[in-house]
Amino acid sequence: MPKFETKEKFLFNLLGREYTDDELEQVFPRAKAELDEHDKENGVFKIELNDTNRPDLWSAMGLARLLKNYENPQIKQYDFFSSKCFTADNKGRELHVGNRAKEVREFSCGFVAKGKTVDEDILLTLIQSQEKLCFNFGRKRKTIAMGIYRNDLIKYPIHYDGADPDKTHFVPLHMEEDLTLREILEKHPKGQEYGYIIKDKPVYPYLYDDSGETLSMPPVINSAYVGAVEVGDNNLFVEMSGPILKDILLCASIMAVDMADLGFEIEPVKVIYPYKTEFGKEITVPYYFQDSQSCTIEDIKHVLGEDIDAEEAKDALLRMGVYSVSEGNTIHITCPEYRNDFLHPVDVVEDVMIGYGLENFEPTIPRDFTVGRLTPAEELGRKVKDIMVGMGFQEMIYNYLGSRREYVDNMHIKGDKVIMIANPMSENFEAVRPSIIPSLLESESVSGHATYPHRIFEVGKVAFLEPSDNSGTATRNYLGFMSADGSVTFNDANSFINTLMYFLRVEYTLAAPEDDPRFIPGRCADIMVGGKKIGIFGEVHPAVLESWGCGMPAVVAEVDLDCLL
Amino acid sequence: MDIEVKNFHPLEVKLLRHVGLGEDISAERIVNELDYKIGQCNQAFSWLCAKGCLKETGRRTIVTYELTELGQAQANEGTPAQRIFDLLKGGEPLSLPEIAEKLGLEKSDIGSAYGSLSKAGTCAMNAENKAFVKNDQLPADVTETAELLKKGLAGPIDEATMTEREKALMGRISKKRGAAGSPYKMTEREEVTYQMTEAGQEAKEALLKANITGEEIGVLTPQIIASGSWKTASFRPYGLDAPVQRLIPGRHNPYANYIQWVKDKLTSLGFEEFDGPLVENEFWNGDALFMPQFHSAHDIHDVYYVKEPRHCKQIEEPWLSNVAATHENGGNTGSRGWQYKFDHEFTRRQILRSQGTVLSAHQLTKAKVPGKYFGIVRCFRFDEVDAKHGADFYQTEGIVIGKEANLKDLLGLLKMFAVEVAGATDFKYVPGYFPFTEPSIEIHIKHPVLGWFEMGGSGIFRPEVTKSLGIDEPVLAWGLGIDRMAMMHLGINDIRDLFSPNIDSVRTRRGN
Repeated sequence: MPKFETKEKFLFNLLGREYTDDELEQVFPRAKAELDEHDKENGVFKIELNDTNRPDLWSAMGLARLLKNYENPQIKQYDFFSSKCFTADNKGRELHVGNRAKEVREFSCGFVAKGKTVDEDILLTLIQSQEKLCFNFGRKRKTIAMGIYRNDLIKYPIHYDGADPDKTHFVPLHMEEDLTLREILEKHPKGQEYGYIIKDKPVYPYLYDDSGETLSMPPVINSAYVGAVEVGDNNLFVEMSGPILKDILLCASIMAVDMADLGFEIEPVKVIYPYKTEFGKEITVPYYFQDSQSCTIEDIKHVLGEDIDAEEAKDALLRMGVYSVSEGNTIHITCPEYRNDFLHPVDVVEDVMIGYGLENFEPTIPRDFTVGRLTPAEELGRKVKDIMVGMGFQEMIYNYLGSRREYVDNMHIKGDKVIMIANPMSENFEAVRPSIIPSLLESESVSGHATYPHRIFEVGKVAFLEPSDNSGTATRNYLGFMSADGSVTFNDANSFINTLMYFLRVEYTLAAPEDDPRFIPGRCADIMVGGKKIGIFGEVHPAVLESWGCGMPAVVAEVDLDCLL
Repeated sequence: MDIEVKNFHPLEVKLLRHVGLGEDISAERIVNELDYKIGQCNQAFSWLCAKGCLKETGRRTIVTYELTELGQAQANEGTPAQRIFDLLKGGEPLSLPEIAEKLGLEKSDIGSAYGSLSKAGTCAMNAENKAFVKNDQLPADVTETAELLKKGLAGPIDEATMTEREKALMGRISKKRGAAGSPYKMTEREEVTYQMTEAGQEAKEALLKANITGEEIGVLTPQIIASGSWKTASFRPYGLDAPVQRLIPGRHNPYANYIQWVKDKLTSLGFEEFDGPLVENEFWNGDALFMPQFHSAHDIHDVYYVKEPRHCKQIEEPWLSNVAATHENGGNTGSRGWQYKFDHEFTRRQILRSQGTVLSAHQLTKAKVPGKYFGIVRCFRFDEVDAKHGADFYQTEGIVIGKEANLKDLLGLLKMFAVEVAGATDFKYVPGYFPFTEPSIEIHIKHPVLGWFEMGGSGIFRPEVTKSLGIDEPVLAWGLGIDRMAMMHLGINDIRDLFSPNIDSVRTRRGN
């Protein structure tokens, strides 16, 4: 979940008044926000946002916009947006996208923000917005990267294109060397971090002005000159790039309204593509591209279970910052410029719900009668557990992930049926357990101090490769048990199995297993039911005990309970 | 002094009743008079001293001599010196080997025995190196030693009863702990003398008064029942403050029990259980839940990918086509969709199930309407393992399908869980976010022990989810975080302990 930090004063200024922590906790849920931490010493709030589809809320400006409007609905007008039917004055500023951009990172757009001097708080909040939008919403800059530049130094039009990684060069931010684009990927820390996004492309994204001065190599790094924004600057060019046009336009809109809320004047820049995009060849940014959405009074009643009339619904939406009009039973909304999360009428309904106030819905109990039931496997598992407990065994419950060492090496098996993980966090959790026996032996290996005999069991799942299944794997419910002490033998295991099967009413026979290195040869048996092997038991081979560091003789058994259903 | 005499052991009882104030009490006396074994005697002394009924008044070392097997033989047949003398006295001179042969003795024994006779002038060698009796009188040493040996035949000799002369002789023919070559074995032991204390006297009087004799029945045996001897006997009572022996019972795992309890609770509320395989694919784990394949909502959690096989063979139709269309343009769900090209290879990528909601999605394709379903299932997340994150963990999830199911029902359902499952004293609802539900609600509960915390997330499945999987009715979806409650219930702070392999800690763990 995205989190951001903001100074108390900064947030309260935006909200228009001060709030106590209790008050904040009252109002934050309206934005699906949580007060994660209040550092009173430094006057800093840490705030967590739960809605990953509402990047507009991931800044103090966005959060304050919603909360302030909720208490005093008065939707703020932003007049700098262009749309399908209206184009704002770009004062001659253009961004030209070249033909080769689509070979690496197709879209770029931007706008100018001026008339407000960047102070430390503003700089911090801008950097934070950039991080949240690019990292969380932009999937670690893969789909959105943002740069902020000193607009005074830029000669328009700006150019964005795919550039030769070895012939193009500039001095990147926080370095003094002039490096080629490819060298930056190798040498600059940001190059090492984000270079993978473009590394293998024939050209690299390159943003430069009309005099040839470099702005940046998106999504990696700004130039050290035009791209070095500092406290005291009051004229900025904000630019987004990425492979999905709507995503970067949305982010540009979010940044634009955030900066407008901070007191900047926003001035559009016209982006000119060499070909037609879904919004035409020329897009003046910030650009309002969102579709409208609607829902009906019936939708609201159906989902929320409450009779809410059109006026109430419109009021609720207004509190959420959403304009709407009603037409008969249908409510049409205008999506705010900074949002694009109304995919379905139910998304409108949710805003109605929050705007109406969750506390105003009276809980009811579902009226349909249904029969409660456990799975047959659970029922059988419980029967088995009771018999095992009756025979003096302690039930265990184990993790299902472990190491190859535990599941394969220590068991002296080939391990060709073990499901391995492609991206293990550590070698301790790199495989799914194919059997309960290693879990039991792990217990034995860490419990030498516990009073003997050790009689333990688990009814749980195992999984292994099984080519006949659609997934190439099988998950089964198994019983595994172990008895360890100075005098335990094959006969003990045989008696346990016999007793278990008697009470389960299972007729079984024993057969000599094929060579199984987990057991002492001649001291283990396959459990056969209807000619099919459903389990195995026997004395654990001393070589296996030695691998586990166990000093006590042990018998183990394993039964596939799904075969008994 | 207040002594619970009922708890006295029969050995203590009989001893106390037998002795009087001012008398010396020794092990020897008690062995003789009460027929105790020496070990029983020492146990009784030690317990009674601990209770303050006896006190030690003296201790001395007792030395006794006892014949060894060799000594017994010599006492009966004579010492080697005596026998050589007897042999030579009545016959011809003999060489030492001849003597050894006739007497059946070792040459070395003959050597030293003859040495002592020769030294005393009793015997001598002739010119042929054969021994003969020179003086008809045996030396005093030899005769006295023989007498001392005979004395031993009557039983061990207490050093205190011996003359100085005997002690001197004994010194030559005895060894501590009786080496086999010596006729006598010397034993040293400590004899402790006790006297009864005032407390002992009180206890004795109490025993007499309570008519406790020490002859009470201890363990009731089948023989006692059969013989009927119990009819005239009384039973020795057991002490209530004696240390109790630890038992190791067969037992259910308390965490598994807790899960079972929750399952029973949910079935009692009309929910039917579902389950499924650990290996899933992106389709069911995310795509069917309308989590866009290449979008930030997908990164809400990271998953473990299966190394081999990377992909499942196929995704069942019509679900695949429905879901793909829904992602691309909303399909027939009334949605705009996510507006991107659905990746048919990515969707078959195999992973370890990362959320229980996967099974809710599966259930939609086979659910009855109305229907209520739940599962408590193991899930896996790519996360650093620590006190708050396990490698794998249980998620409790479920759905309610009904023509009229709505938000107010969802709130009622959550309230029911809060009260029935968590024992909450208060609760509140807050709007939440999950990619697959709209609206989404979290319930925060006030737990009697843990205070306020988020107990669960829920919502109404998006139509993009339900319609793609063949359900037209509203579906309430919910998940409960039972782990925190389970940990509180079990008194543990580290989530990894829920799955502890440590036998002792599992054996002793209790639920609340």
